[in-house]
Amino acid sequence: MNYRKGYALAWVLVVVMLLAHNAYLWLDKRIVPDTDILALLPVQEQDPVLQQSFTHMVDAAQQRVIVLVGAADWQDAQRAADAYTAVLATRKDLLQGTDLSDQMQGDWLAKFQQHSLILLTAAQEAQLRQQAPQFWVDAARAKLYSAFSGPKLGAWRDDPFGLFSGWVQERAQETPVRPRDGHLFVANADKQYILLPLTLKVPAFSMGAQEAVMPLLAQATEAAHKAVPQAEVISSGVILHAAAASSQASAEISTIGLGSLIGIILLTWLTFRSIKPIALILLSIGIGCLGALSICWILFERVHLLTLVFGASLIGVAQDYGIYFLCNRLNADEKLDSASLLKRLMPGLSLTLLAAVIGYAGLALTPFPGLRQMALFSALGLIFAWLTVVFWFPSLISSGTLKSGALVQAYGATLARWPRLRMNKSSLIAVALFVVVAVIGFSRLGSNDDIRLLQNPPKHLINDQIKLGKLLDAPTPVQFFLVRGSSAEAVLQREEALKKRLDPLITARKISGYQAMSNWVPSEQTQNARRALLEEKLLRVGGPLEQLAVDIGEDKNWALATRAHLLESGSLLTMDAFLQSPASEPWRHLWLGQVNGVHASIVALRGLSFADLALMQGTAEGLEGVQWVDKVSEISSVLGRYRVYMGWVVAGAYLVVFCLLFPRYRSNTWRVLAPTALASIAALALLGITGQNVQLFHVLALMLLLGVGVDYGIFMQEHPDSRNTTPWLAVGLSAANTILSFGLLGLSRTPALQAFGLTMLFGIALVWTIVPCFRTEHVEQA
Amino acid sequence: MKRALFGMFLFGYAALTSAAAPIEKIQGMLAKPSILCGRFDQTKQLAGMKKPLLSNGRFCVVAGKGVLWRTLQPFPDTLRLTRDEITHYQGDRVAMRLDAKQEPTVRMINSVLFSLLSGDLSQLDSLFETEGSADANSWRVALKARKPELAKAIGAISLEGGAYVKNITLNEASGDKTNIVFSAMQSGSAAMLPEEAALF
Repeated sequence: MNYRKGYALAWVLVVVMLLAHNAYLWLDKRIVPDTDILALLPVQEQDPVLQQSFTHMVDAAQQRVIVLVGAADWQDAQRAADAYTAVLATRKDLLQGTDLSDQMQGDWLAKFQQHSLILLTAAQEAQLRQQAPQFWVDAARAKLYSAFSGPKLGAWRDDPFGLFSGWVQERAQETPVRPRDGHLFVANADKQYILLPLTLKVPAFSMGAQEAVMPLLAQATEAAHKAVPQAEVISSGVILHAAAASSQASAEISTIGLGSLIGIILLTWLTFRSIKPIALILLSIGIGCLGALSICWILFERVHLLTLVFGASLIGVAQDYGIYFLCNRLNADEKLDSASLLKRLMPGLSLTLLAAVIGYAGLALTPFPGLRQMALFSALGLIFAWLTVVFWFPSLISSGTLKSGALVQAYGATLARWPRLRMNKSSLIAVALFVVVAVIGFSRLGSNDDIRLLQNPPKHLINDQIKLGKLLDAPTPVQFFLVRGSSAEAVLQREEALKKRLDPLITARKISGYQAMSNWVPSEQTQNARRALLEEKLLRVGGPLEQLAVDIGEDKNWALATRAHLLESGSLLTMDAFLQSPASEPWRHLWLGQVNGVHASIVALRGLSFADLALMQGTAEGLEGVQWVDKVSEISSVLGRYRVYMGWVVAGAYLVVFCLLFPRYRSNTWRVLAPTALASIAALALLGITGQNVQLFHVLALMLLLGVGVDYGIFMQEHPDSRNTTPWLAVGLSAANTILSFGLLGLSRTPALQAFGLTMLFGIALVWTIVPCFRTEHVEQA
Repeated sequence: MKRALFGMFLFGYAALTSAAAPIEKIQGMLAKPSILCGRFDQTKQLAGMKKPLLSNGRFCVVAGKGVLWRTLQPFPDTLRLTRDEITHYQGDRVAMRLDAKQEPTVRMINSVLFSLLSGDLSQLDSLFETEGSADANSWRVALKARKPELAKAIGAISLEGGAYVKNITLNEASGDKTNIVFSAMQSGSAAMLPEEAALF
């Protein structure tokens, strides 16, 4: 007896430590859960260059907030935008605007003017090859006499054929955004907008940052509307999505957690007609949660918000141990003391814990860091709750404290009338029916691994995003071509080869354009070829330049001088020189430079529609060093891979649990597992019949279903006597609670959690319903 | 062609951003007809060239619609600027067309050009500092770009006129100079030739 007291006291010590650690974490350290949805995704296995390209594109995008303030009238738009920025200016520590004068500052054209001879558009190059010399004479003449050709990029003689200004114009077309009155301006048919690119000074995924930034943005929008009531404010940024996800998760954690708790309290009270069991069960759950959080924090030094959401449903499982003990106490002989009762329950209790932990261990096998955390959190929570039951409950509940109510009697009585599976006609029909439904369901089963399952942004954010995309015609940061080569020159040449394939796609309106470093700095090879082409087609002796001299009454010397002047600006433009000039600022992110000895760059696409993604894959094919990168589909493929992989883990777990149970239940082991297995099959069949697709989160739910469902099998098998309604009561109470908690998870608006919740809801309900059908026959006869 | 355009593109664009001339007095002097057509004679002196380049033609400024600029000598070349589009004809052939959808600054370029040709200085105020003088029936204004980028792109502009703009001189930083003299002004719907009206 003494060692038992010793354990109980030791456990008191552990619990005090947990309380102290938790108090320190929440009150002193003020920990905040993570909300970065990407933390739930696997760490990339491969390719440092690919990784770097994502870092370049995605990380840069992450700290950006883009706001458009628009109105039909330009003056109104300016007033609204000024009101908006005035509010933001009060918190420069949160959001920083881009200083426009900085951007326009510096003569960005100067760099290119020094090399203007070799800067041609693809169309101009084709014209140079095809057009007769007279075409160029005419072009130069028209430009010469044109009234307003005067105010331009330089003197007429710097660009007599207008090739350089054509190139600059093409570059300007890479973005519809223009400077206007000291603002960045963009317009559509009915509104004029001012673009405000903002840089976030605090991490987008920190909840603290979201709580500070979101009201500031709302306040700024309000100010804009106050200044100009009909003003339109469109905003976009990772932080907006992150904030929406956090507030959704926070709302859900309180509904699911609270609903689950109320359900449990109500059920316990109806069963035991006492406050004490409720207090005890809450105690075990509470210690489970505190312990899980403490150890998770010690191991990971962070806790993801979704771990806590998932953890909220843990309440439904952690209660099983307490309930099992209490139900047995309720029905046990009063002469049997609680310590001896526990001793008798230990094998069953241990097996239920083991089976559940194995279930969660399956989750830990996935490469998703978030899921590992959830697995650990849940397993720890269960172990702590279990230990609390084992160490404390016998001392806290003595025989005779619990009395059952009328509900318990009525419910217990149903067991005797419950059908049982045996070799008779009705059982065979039931089995045949099940097989038919399962076959039909499975034959219709599809799968879905869309990354959008992980996140479900509110509609207004998506609408803003679409509008912004249309107005700015900006490339997506998650889909692009990655170009590699042994040198910068090799990369540029490969970009040019790729661009040759992309140009027809622009003509076919599959994409609206591309952004590439080689647009600004052509490869050396191309630069040389162009200079040679220009010399041959335009500058040669007797060519258009000399012809023009004759037309305008100048002599041969003039032609020679002009030729020499043009050739001066024909020197090679190097990537390094470009990167050092302020003109490259908006494009530098496209150039990855040297990564692990390889040179790499990004070619980004504008106006790419979802339907044409497959086309891009094909475009890169056969081009050496060019790879189509699609982060979205890559994540989806990872989700898909692990869906299949987890399927096998589930199957393997059944085998492991079977082996675990076999020494105790022998030939009846199948009776423990069959209800859960059948419920899992039925859940999948139901998905097929209702036309839903299987996703990773359904499979993960099946894994958990195994852990929980097996408990019921064990409870029933531990007390196979039909007259003993204790296990049936424990199963009922536990299943009802689990349904309450996971059923509420089905209310989540995050598709992944909803899939998880609904699978559990249906699965547990079915296990509960059919578990009595697998009672052993001989016991009844005895 | 594109380059002719690009000039204007910067003209409006780098610029669009800006007075101390007697603007009100000048405004009062201007006739501001809804349709104004006339002859222009242009002299261009380009850097590196001995001889000036002479050209002439007709122009029309139509309030609310835009500007038509027809070079007739030494060869036909027409530029049409409307609210949403710039079109360049070499002879009868459309050599280039640029619309506001493609190039959002088209609208601004066109409005600046319209203001210049119609002498509407108040509209140019945000872009230029104006300095000038006016007597009973003539005026003279020098425009200086408020932003250095614009100054670099278009240099200095001076305007002379009375009821109409009579003379525009553009002095570019690059050394190229353009002078345009307007004459034979006519206003009213009869001012436009049929072929010109057809273009609007």
